[in-house]
Amino acid sequence: MPAEHPPAARGGADRLVAFAVLAFAAGVYALTYRFDDVPAALMSGLDAALFPRLVLATLAVLALLLAFGIGSPPAERPRRLPRRAWVTAGILMGFMAAVELIGMWPSSLALLIGLGRLWGERSWWKLAASAGGLVAALYLLFVRFLGGTFPRGALGMLIWP
Amino acid sequence: METLLAGMAILADPKIMGLVVAGTLLGIVVGALPGISGSTTTALLLPLTVMMSPVQAIAFLGSIYCAANFGGSITAILINTPGDPSACATAFDGYPMAARGEAGRALGMSAIASAIGGIFSVFVLIVAAPMLARAAYSFGPPEYFALTVFGLSMVAAIGGDSQIKNLISACLGVLLATVGLDLTTGVERFTFGVYALSDGVEFIPVLIGLFAVSELLEQAAQRGGAVESFRLTAVKLPSLADFRKCAKAIVLSSGIGTFIGALPALGATTAAMICYNETKRWSKHKHEFGKGAIEGVAGPEAANNAAVGGAMVPTLALGIPGSATTAIILAGLIVQGVRPGPHLFNEQPTLLYTVFGSMLAANLLYLVIGLGAAKLFARLALVPPAFLWPAVFVLSVVGAYAPNQSIADVWVVLIFGAVGFLFRRFGFSPAPMIMGLVLGKLTEETLKQSLLIFDHDWSLFLGRPMVVVLFLITAAGLAAPPLARAWRAMTVRYRPELGIKD
Repeated sequence: MPAEHPPAARGGADRLVAFAVLAFAAGVYALTYRFDDVPAALMSGLDAALFPRLVLATLAVLALLLAFGIGSPPAERPRRLPRRAWVTAGILMGFMAAVELIGMWPSSLALLIGLGRLWGERSWWKLAASAGGLVAALYLLFVRFLGGTFPRGALGMLIWP
Repeated sequence: METLLAGMAILADPKIMGLVVAGTLLGIVVGALPGISGSTTTALLLPLTVMMSPVQAIAFLGSIYCAANFGGSITAILINTPGDPSACATAFDGYPMAARGEAGRALGMSAIASAIGGIFSVFVLIVAAPMLARAAYSFGPPEYFALTVFGLSMVAAIGGDSQIKNLISACLGVLLATVGLDLTTGVERFTFGVYALSDGVEFIPVLIGLFAVSELLEQAAQRGGAVESFRLTAVKLPSLADFRKCAKAIVLSSGIGTFIGALPALGATTAAMICYNETKRWSKHKHEFGKGAIEGVAGPEAANNAAVGGAMVPTLALGIPGSATTAIILAGLIVQGVRPGPHLFNEQPTLLYTVFGSMLAANLLYLVIGLGAAKLFARLALVPPAFLWPAVFVLSVVGAYAPNQSIADVWVVLIFGAVGFLFRRFGFSPAPMIMGLVLGKLTEETLKQSLLIFDHDWSLFLGRPMVVVLFLITAAGLAAPPLARAWRAMTVRYRPELGIKD
């Protein structure tokens, strides 16, 4: 069972989030000054920056309310991420690289087997059969039936020109 | 009646009927998978509608919406893991029923109560939506602006338990809606020179990332314990005595659920929770609740499905989503070039008939399918996470890539998956962000049009009675919860019998 954090620590997590939101709002606000200028005569309605600035100002006010704990119960400090979460995120990023290299379908097959193994399935047979079945079904639906084309990857193009 | 018959006539088209059956089946199957909510189901299956006509798409989405809600209750009853947050209350009594070998009875009652609640709400939708649309027909841009602000303020009530965080999430969604070419001035905003962003952020990859991929990462972050489940040895259906016992709960919850669903941003989960309490309050068997009372299954199930039809009322009549899932459906319709609102009732009545007909048919279908195949669907709840979540990711990637055949969309899925995961970790809900993204463009457009009408004089907003009423309701809705909390804190502080010193 995770240890209870004292209220001050819990409020601290919210303050951190509030300052991150404030910094984000300030950064995006600065970006609105880089919008192209429009001649006043052509500006029939509003300046393109006005609405985003209104939203950002609202965001800043809400972040300040959060920082001072108004209208929001103090949040629990997030627990540390287990190794499995980091490895899962790494596999997802690896998947994107694999798509560029070997294409969408082989990468999907590898991901289904690799992630399934990481998440605790020990039977290679079950993993391979379910992964193969799903990839085949999606291939049939999206490529054969709906006529879509999916990335084949640099290696994929060399092997199956 | 005419509307209903027109809706039924559309179902005579075998293609539409096929899509309704497919939508219902997919909705139950995906909705029954543990951890995949109705909104995630709809987001995952949304890419399939891109290749359809608007009528086909709305028939498909309407059926998924109805069926996914029912599918969520299967896991709530069998493994005490609600497939959808709206089925949380169902688990309170459904799981104890399953534990004592009455899973079939609980599933049967769930199917019947869901169907009755769902059908009741569709009839309310048929009557109320055109009336609301007629009332809204006289609305101009200022009224619409006030209405969108009201809709956005109501997001404070959904998702996480922090009003401020929900509003921050909604603001980020609105900000996201400003990305791309500003149609009034032709100025590019936040595109960073990326051509693909000129048309704005695509809805589908954002939805899939925020709901499906962030849920996958959340599942990876949980130090999961083994889920206890009960196998169905026989599907014993509820008896006539059960129906007599539950009739009051079903009628009461259908009415309350429809009403709550129709309020913007208050969805099926709130309806189910309130109706569980109301069912218990009016029951003669209060002591059975929490230990496996069949009324405790019937009440929330009727309510959460009634809320589905209710949530479609503001979505179709005003273009303001009534829940996270209707926000996704609204996004799907916008992708199809259809913008719901009062004009839809005059300009594209066929679409509305399709919604009515498909939702009615889906409710009847899942009753038949749910009762007939409860045993089979129960097995779905036992799919191990090691097979389920990798499959969800592959479906997400393929679904996001397929509509535009763009790898950039897959990156958007991953980026918003990470954003959604961070949101959840810090107590934010992704649902308000979707509401903001869907309503953002409308809010900006109507604000600009209003200011043109008012010659840039903001004070003229206050000269429109409906705008003033909507602004007052918005302010009251935002101020009420903190004021109520402050009042409670004050009254507690001054109660010496609680031993609390001032």
